[in-house]
Parts: sequence; C-alpha cells; structure tokens
Amino acid sequence: MSSHREAPEISKDPVADSTDVYAFVSPDDPSAVTLIANYIPLQGPAGGPNFYEFGDDVLYEIHIDNNGDGRADISYQFQFRTEVLDPDTFLYNTGPIESLSSPNWNRRQSYDVAVMNGFPHSTLATGLACPPCNIGPQSTPGYPSLAAAAVHSLGGGVTVFAGQRAEGFYVDLGSIFDLGNLRPFEELHAQYGLNVFSGPAPGVNATDHLNVHSIAIRVPISAVTRAGHPTIGVWTTASRQRVRLWDADNGENVNTGPFRQVSRLGNPLVNEVLIPLGRKDLWNSLPPSDDKRFAGYVTQPGLAALLPALYPGVFPNLAALVKSGKPRADLQAILLTGIPAGLIPGFENLTGSTLADMLRLNTSIRPTPAAKQSIYGVLGGDLAGFPNGRRVTDDVVAIELRALAGVTYPLVDKSFKPDAAAAKLTDGLTPASVSSAYLGQFPYLGVPYSGFDNPS
Amino acid sequence: MPSHDATRASAERAVDPQAPAESGPQGSSGPLGRRLSRRSLLKGAATAGAAGLAATAIGATASPALAATSRPVPLSGADVKAPPGPIVVHVRNAKSGDIEVFSGTSQNRLRDKDLAARIARAIG
Repeated sequence: MSSHREAPEISKDPVADSTDVYAFVSPDDPSAVTLIANYIPLQGPAGGPNFYEFGDDVLYEIHIDNNGDGRADISYQFQFRTEVLDPDTFLYNTGPIESLSSPNWNRRQSYDVAVMNGFPHSTLATGLACPPCNIGPQSTPGYPSLAAAAVHSLGGGVTVFAGQRAEGFYVDLGSIFDLGNLRPFEELHAQYGLNVFSGPAPGVNATDHLNVHSIAIRVPISAVTRAGHPTIGVWTTASRQRVRLWDADNGENVNTGPFRQVSRLGNPLVNEVLIPLGRKDLWNSLPPSDDKRFAGYVTQPGLAALLPALYPGVFPNLAALVKSGKPRADLQAILLTGIPAGLIPGFENLTGSTLADMLRLNTSIRPTPAAKQSIYGVLGGDLAGFPNGRRVTDDVVAIELRALAGVTYPLVDKSFKPDAAAAKLTDGLTPASVSSAYLGQFPYLGVPYSGFDNPS
Repeated sequence: MPSHDATRASAERAVDPQAPAESGPQGSSGPLGRRLSRRSLLKGAATAGAAGLAATAIGATASPALAATSRPVPLSGADVKAPPGPIVVHVRNAKSGDIEVFSGTSQNRLRDKDLAARIARAIG
C-alpha cells in the first residue's frame, strides 16, 4: 500500500515499483503545484553496502492530463545515471560524505529531466545530483543539509529533487493484510472462529522507520493547466525497454528496444485493493484512458462486499447496498471522473466523462493552512486534501475505507444512510505515526532514516 | 530522452520482406527513423550473434520443408550500416516467419520465413 508491491510482476522489480503519488498546490508557493512520485518500497535504512538507488535502465515519468481524456498532455521524464569512482573498493563511501561533490562518495547518481508536451521532448536539465542515502553519523554527517543541496532550481519556476526520503505514507500493513483486520475494531472482526482478539488495540505504522526514493517536481500552475480549466489529472509511470539480456561475458544486463510501461499509479489503493489479482499486471501496463475496462471493479468493489462479511452486524446498510447491485457512482466520481459541481458545496474536480484513474487536483483551491487541515481531506471539510489531489499527510487509508463503506454514497443517493461505523473506520494511524517529521517546504517528505539509527 | 508513447507510435513498424533491400521509406538515419532492410537485418543478426548479444526465441521449430527453401543471402559488410549497440532478434514464430528486431529504442516487426528458418537452424 498504497501501491507498494501491489501487483505480482512489479513486486519483483522494486526500482520500477511506484508506491505513492502526491499532487497539491504548494503551501509555501500557491502559484505552483508539487508533484511527487515515490518508488522502491519498504527500504530498510541499513540496507548496504549497495544502498538503494533509482534504476538507470528505468524511464520514470510524472504525467499530467489537462483536457480530461486520460492521456498525458505533459510528461516530466527522469532518467538516472550511476557513477562509480573507484570500482576496486566494496564501499559505497570511503569516508564522510560532507557535500554532493565529496570524493569520498564512491557510488553516486545523477539524472536528466525532460518535459514532453508534444514531440519532440525538451530537456530541462542534465547531470543533476541526487543525494546519497542516509547511512549514519560518520558517513553522512549533517544529512538534512546534504539533501537540501540536492534541491535544484531549473529556472522558469521549476524545482526538482530526486533521492531518498522517509516514507510518509502511514498504514498498518501487518493488520490489514491479516484478512482485513483493523486493530481499533479487531474485536468486531469475524476472526474465523479463532477468537484471537478480545478488545481494540492501537494501530501500528508498518512503514515507520522505512525509506522510499522520491521524484519531486514543483512547477507553476500556469505551466500545467489550460486557461479556464484548473483541474489536472496526475499519475506516474515507470517503463523498461522491451528486451533485457544478461550479458554473461561482461556480467551485466543489456537493454534494448522501445520503452514499455511496467508500473502505474494515480489514486492510492486502486490497483492495490480494487483491481483483482489476475488483472493487476495488465492494469500497470495501460494508460488511464483505458480504465473503462476496469470500471466495474470500482463501481462494484469487492472490498465493499467484504466489510460486512468481515465485521458481522457492523455494516447492515452497506450490506444492503451491496446486495442491491447498484453501481457505486460515488466511487466512480471520486476515482475515475472527478466530482462534478453541485455535490459538495464549493467544490468540483470533474475532468469529464472519460473514466480514468488519475489523481485529480483542482488547482484553483488554495492550500489550507496547516493548523486548519483535516487529514480526512474533503471528507473532513478540507477541500485542499484528498481526493482533491493528495497531500503528504492525508490519511488516504481512512478516507478510502470510509468511502468504500458507504460514507460518500449519499452524494449520489440522498436516501442512503451510511452505517454509524463507516465514518469511524481507520487503521488507527495519523501523521504523528511517522517518526521523521514532514517538512514544511519542498520536497515536503521527511529526512530519511539513517541505517545507523535504524539498524533493524 | 525517450517516451514510450512516442516510441510506440514511431518505432513499431512492420517491414515488408518483399521490399527491395535498403529501401526504407523513412529515409532517416536516426534510431527512431531507422528502417531495417532484410539485408541489414541479416547482417545485424549475424553481427550481434557474433558479439554474443543476440537472443532468439523460437516459437515453433522450423519444418524441414521450410528450411529447405531457405537460401543464403550473400552479404557484403561494406554496404551495411550497423547501428551502435546490440541488435536483438526475437523470432516469435519460426513457422510463420514472425520476427521482431530490437535496437536502441527502436523495434521493427517483419515476416520472413526464410530468415526465421535460418535463425532456427543456427540455434540447432
């Protein structure tokens, strides 16, 4: 979760595995949007000597649709290059790395950034330095400053960063994947007759003290929207060349052929919990414009049918709704088309009738001051949060659980009364469950955990 | 920097094996505009094979009858412009002659029973 190891094929290819996408109007610069795509899930900070890095053979992209057809109108492309200064040592670093130009940093990455808004592409920058991974107080002293030096301003109001960050997506994986258990309500779980739980328990953030690799870009709103159309759709993809050969003579992989998409992510949890196992890999290979093929999994979600079965007697109204067979037009609006005007006072992020899983951000809605934000986003009356884009602190697990449980169905059927439990669903976590504090400025995700301080 | 979408549109091309050698209509020498003729393909496959970088996947074993009709094509190395990097040939189906050729960020698809049969024989 939200898309960590979510499909069989991509779970075997971590460097191309997108884990989360964020899109929000920058709180410290409301004239710009920040787009973040995370890759390489569940990194143990002590994972050396070959610490985590982007794939040199992967084409990473962040796409923007600004005309509602589910196809990219603007794509920011990132390609990485790894350099080894001294191949005769096994060490990632041969002494303290005190700057991005330190000769002690033996294995380093840089990257090129380009934008496609037609053809051909336009190169924005080349040879931009990534920061090293956060190893420990001897290898990477003063890490926050070291990483801050890897925030690059490219001109034209574009700022980029690519490198390791603390995982900001908080989720109780251990509980949820144990047959849909939510610790705060586990005594209500059917428990399959095993009677394992007798009372509620606090949530446990499975991603705490783990890192990811982030690609973050901040761009002027005017550069990504069309006049009079403030809502954009955002998603990320990773692509690999069609052919990979193990060149045994040289002990390396050789790649050739055109790039093909192997990973995709827009809204959190869509491929993770809505798309069935047998179609996840296919979903990952297709553009959002093809999502009509998968719409049934959104409008008749299996998880909505599971909740009443897993928690007997807790969701009678949801059970009746599921039994009625009525399509979940609320979920279709939230995840596939955007929410039209008139359903939520003062809010809309509709992009049109094309069914496409994209993170939809109405850029005309200004950021909510931090003190007034709700981690439940639009459900909590905070129109600047998910599903209006997604901020790094939004509790997308609770929001989507509640929506699936029927909280949002009255948007399309005012006669429906959600179950009392639906609006309380949570895995028991909040942004405070993330030990490394979020930043108030770009790239917003916290300083990655060091291997020394988080050895296991 | 490549785009899979753009590359998909420009690089996946079917090659008519009956077309005269070196007669690619694109007329481009760039990696996306390159069109492999049957002759350059044969040379490329041979070069890549010699370098240990060619891969062939045989979808079906070439029939003796098909192999018998295969005729060697004389090659002159001087008139072949080999692209940099490896060329990988994927015989999707040896019986039908369905072949994919990969080089750089390009991909060409052609149907050539003779060539498929020769490759199948080469791999034993």
